[in-house]
Amino acid sequence: MKQKLIILGLVFLANFSFADYHFETIVSGLDDAWSFDFLNDDQVILTEQPGKIKIITISSGKIEEVSGVPKVQYASQGGLSEIALDPDFKKNSLLYLSYSALNQNGKSTLFLMSAELENSRLINKKVIFEAKAYRRVPIHLGAKIDFLPDGTLLLTSGDGFDHKEKAQNLDNHFGKIIRINKDGSVPKNNPFIDNNNALPEIFSYGHRNMQGLVVMEDGTVYEHEHGPRGGDEFNIIQPKKNYGWPAITYGIDYSGAVISPFTKMSGMEQPLKYWVPSIAPSDMIYYSGDLYPELKNSFLITALVSRDVRKIQISNNALSEEIIFTKLKTRLRSIGTSPKGELYLLTDGRKGKLLKILNSD
Amino acid sequence: MKIAKYPLATFCAALLTVALTTPISSFTNIVWLSSMNAPLGFFSGLEIILFDFQRLGILLYGIIIIEFAIAFSFAGIVNKYFYKSDYAYAIAGAIVTGLTLFLITELTTQTEVLSGNRTLIGKILHCLAGFVGGYFFSKLISKDRNISFAIRTLGVIFAYGLLGLTLNWAFQPELAASGFGFNFSELSLDAKNALIRDFNAFFLASFVFAILGVITLNSAWFFSSGFLYLFAGVFNLLAIYGYETGFNQIFIFEFIMGAWPTVLGLVIIYHNRKSLS
Repeated sequence: MKQKLIILGLVFLANFSFADYHFETIVSGLDDAWSFDFLNDDQVILTEQPGKIKIITISSGKIEEVSGVPKVQYASQGGLSEIALDPDFKKNSLLYLSYSALNQNGKSTLFLMSAELENSRLINKKVIFEAKAYRRVPIHLGAKIDFLPDGTLLLTSGDGFDHKEKAQNLDNHFGKIIRINKDGSVPKNNPFIDNNNALPEIFSYGHRNMQGLVVMEDGTVYEHEHGPRGGDEFNIIQPKKNYGWPAITYGIDYSGAVISPFTKMSGMEQPLKYWVPSIAPSDMIYYSGDLYPELKNSFLITALVSRDVRKIQISNNALSEEIIFTKLKTRLRSIGTSPKGELYLLTDGRKGKLLKILNSD
Repeated sequence: MKIAKYPLATFCAALLTVALTTPISSFTNIVWLSSMNAPLGFFSGLEIILFDFQRLGILLYGIIIIEFAIAFSFAGIVNKYFYKSDYAYAIAGAIVTGLTLFLITELTTQTEVLSGNRTLIGKILHCLAGFVGGYFFSKLISKDRNISFAIRTLGVIFAYGLLGLTLNWAFQPELAASGFGFNFSELSLDAKNALIRDFNAFFLASFVFAILGVITLNSAWFFSSGFLYLFAGVFNLLAIYGYETGFNQIFIFEFIMGAWPTVLGLVIIYHNRKSLS
């Protein structure tokens, strides 16, 4: 009898801990979709890297293409990347786009544009930032956007692969997190504003290819970045701090070469967590809704290589990780929460899908 | 040996080129890390050079063997029928190395895979490494080679393959242990000690035995190295089926790594007997 009770208890715990998820395809056939946000409960706006923005009505599956999208350089890892709605979008219709493109001199770099969305059309477009991170091909761009509580904007700018050492220099935007005002001006309290040898937009440096960025209500910034072969990192970002790439790393180069024999160095920050082998983290949210109680108050990180979602919880300075949504077995590009608290996933590559996560409970 | 000396000489020349090529990237990194005031010492510098020789080198070795095979065949025809030169293979080695690195960049991600190849001086040094490899090839094929050349070449390649495991256990035991399914941080101090001690001894011994076999051509050294892996394979199967530890395919690798030097040892014995009789 005692054994049966224990078994019943274990079965109950197992069901409680690992809810059964189902996935409903909202749309399929997306072309290198990269990022999405919610216009309202029933409408998603998403980017496709070749340079398209689409508005999808969830209830009907209707797809509407937005016009006036900037010309992008769709090559390698580049193209149209992040779309982020202004926190006051309902009032001002403003949105922000990050993308790779050629500048007036024909050099490839990362751009940030603000625009108003009016009847499926982008108007009042303004390039508010051009990264001083010029590269031969658009690769390792970062390109994630989020907003700090003070109304300023953060943008991740990747190391450009061939320029990784420049992530340690402050005279460029390779491997940096950028902080600017929404009009593109530089906040007067930026950490390097008084340093004549540093670009004033820099918030933190020593990063690689940062594709996850979450700002909490209290202003705490969490970020994750791709490592090379091993060494993906989950960091807490503080202004003026150096996150070490490529002087310290837990990974090795794709070729097998040593990038650095050091994992720690004075004056360089340690990640909260790192992954060896790499999972290739591609996006992150902090879920605080009630629809999936087992996921509440956790970071959800989509992964391209491990083809799952990592649930990260931090409590009492202890970090725990759980691997979820493993049955999808597909490269996951992005994750988002609807205003109602429903979770959605975007799958990677050609013929991508927007999936709604259904909790059978 | 008349025909076999050409592929064997290609393997040798490619390995020499790898040994000259990988330090270009290593030193590029070392110079940059030094400029960052990284606490580089003798062992951390050695770690970079040795790991690059093995990990980066393995990748390059395969590529260089293929490029040399094509380039030296072409150079051989030119040398024989059109224009005879002592440096035909060396020039072919230099050109094909430079061309291959250029094509790897242009035809893949358009980024430099080798950090040492980003600068002009790095590109020139890579071509020079190809030149030296080609020149070495021409010297190796310039006279008849006997069976000991084949044994030594295959012994060196075997030892080169083992170097990675040896280096992993010597420099990064925690990482090496995780590759074998151990959670290093959760082990007791005694268990950590035993793991580092025994695994280092196993891999270093098998590596040294192979090198000694190459130097002395004494079959006993090759057998020593081979038997370690053959027994590892046998006991792996025993663990799988006798102790139900779960199926793994590592025994295939163990039998290959066991058979390789064992066959070399047997060839030495056969050859010695033949020469005695």
